[in-house]
Amino acid sequence: MTKILLVEDNPYDEELAVLALKTNQPVEKVAISRDGAQALEYLFGEESQASLRSLKVVLLDIKLPKVDGMEVLRRIRANPITRFLPVVMLSSSNQESDIQKAYQLGANSYIVKPVNFELFCQALQQVGGYWLLLNQLPHNPHQ
Amino acid sequence: MYASLIRDVTEQKVAHLEIQQLNEVLEQRVVERTAELAEANRELEAFSYSISHDLRAPLRAMDGYSRLALDDYAANLPDEARRYLEIVHSSALTMSRMIDDLLRLSRLGRQALNLQSVQPGDLVRKVLESFAAEIKERQVQVSVQDMPTCQADAGLLQQVYANLINNALKFTRPCPQPRIEVGCIQRNSTPVYYVRDNGVGFDSQYTEKLFSVFQRLHSQKDYEGDGIGLALVQRIIRRHGGMIWAEAETHQGATFYFTLNRQFNMEADD
Repeated sequence: MTKILLVEDNPYDEELAVLALKTNQPVEKVAISRDGAQALEYLFGEESQASLRSLKVVLLDIKLPKVDGMEVLRRIRANPITRFLPVVMLSSSNQESDIQKAYQLGANSYIVKPVNFELFCQALQQVGGYWLLLNQLPHNPHQ
Repeated sequence: MYASLIRDVTEQKVAHLEIQQLNEVLEQRVVERTAELAEANRELEAFSYSISHDLRAPLRAMDGYSRLALDDYAANLPDEARRYLEIVHSSALTMSRMIDDLLRLSRLGRQALNLQSVQPGDLVRKVLESFAAEIKERQVQVSVQDMPTCQADAGLLQQVYANLINNALKFTRPCPQPRIEVGCIQRNSTPVYYVRDNGVGFDSQYTEKLFSVFQRLHSQKDYEGDGIGLALVQRIIRRHGGMIWAEAETHQGATFYFTLNRQFNMEADD
């Protein structure tokens, strides 16, 4: 029962993020994609129906190999099945142009990953808690 | 006479043609240089984009893993090993702040100025409000003189005062009776704004270095800071077409002067 899809190409960021999420989420509920193409395969590939059913949020890095995060976001919004899937952009940078573009493409949230590990953990725990426990999703007839 | 007239006309025509050709060459050159500048600007943009995205991830790893080692294995580590990890951890955070500072500096160079009529006294009072607790606690005597209105970007000029007043507060810390004075004098019919303190000052032979990025004239141990404040201040003043300079002696206080006027010439006499 995957609830979070983490799209992150940096293995250390991935490990630290999983560690942070683990404090209020069982780790087996986090799926990892290492680049945009893998993320698209996870979301729209052959086995996507099963993986999408329980998915509550995508944590999406912007700078990714092959297909970047903005393009993944665009494809998520363009597809009726994933149109309302919550997407939280996780970026290293607070570049205004990136923030603008992410929201224009329909991101639900934009979070700058803190360098400070304590703050990084707090940020991910709050994100996990909010989208998994508090947020209510609409019924999706396309699924 | 007729012949000389023809010669004159021909010479004029030749001269005219030459001017026209020179103009064309000049215009061509302007186009080329503009394209080169635009290209350099794009490169800088890409450079700062890459810095802001790519340099932070390794720092997060340094901070995160040193933190994890300290949190999870502290009991098994000798004191010296723990100290080493603390240094990795705090240095990663320092470098992260420096990256943020550099990005702020580079954004400042590109952002458009929003010039309007500004009363510097209002900005100074806002800044002083934010330091009110410290001023009260340390009983710092602050005086703000009347200052003429100027044309400036209010947000940026407030940053100038925030940095200069923050420095004045910081470097008067050892003083038994700290004093800060903010005001304006006229020099060569140009308003010269100043912030003066009676703090530790600095050795005037290093004045040149004051405004450089990450240059510090006092030790980090005694006076915290990343050495970016005055570089930001100088960038803001220069964007306004003004100048900034400082006068100080060790233990005799410091005065920072700035103008916001492109025409100001320090050497000229009235």
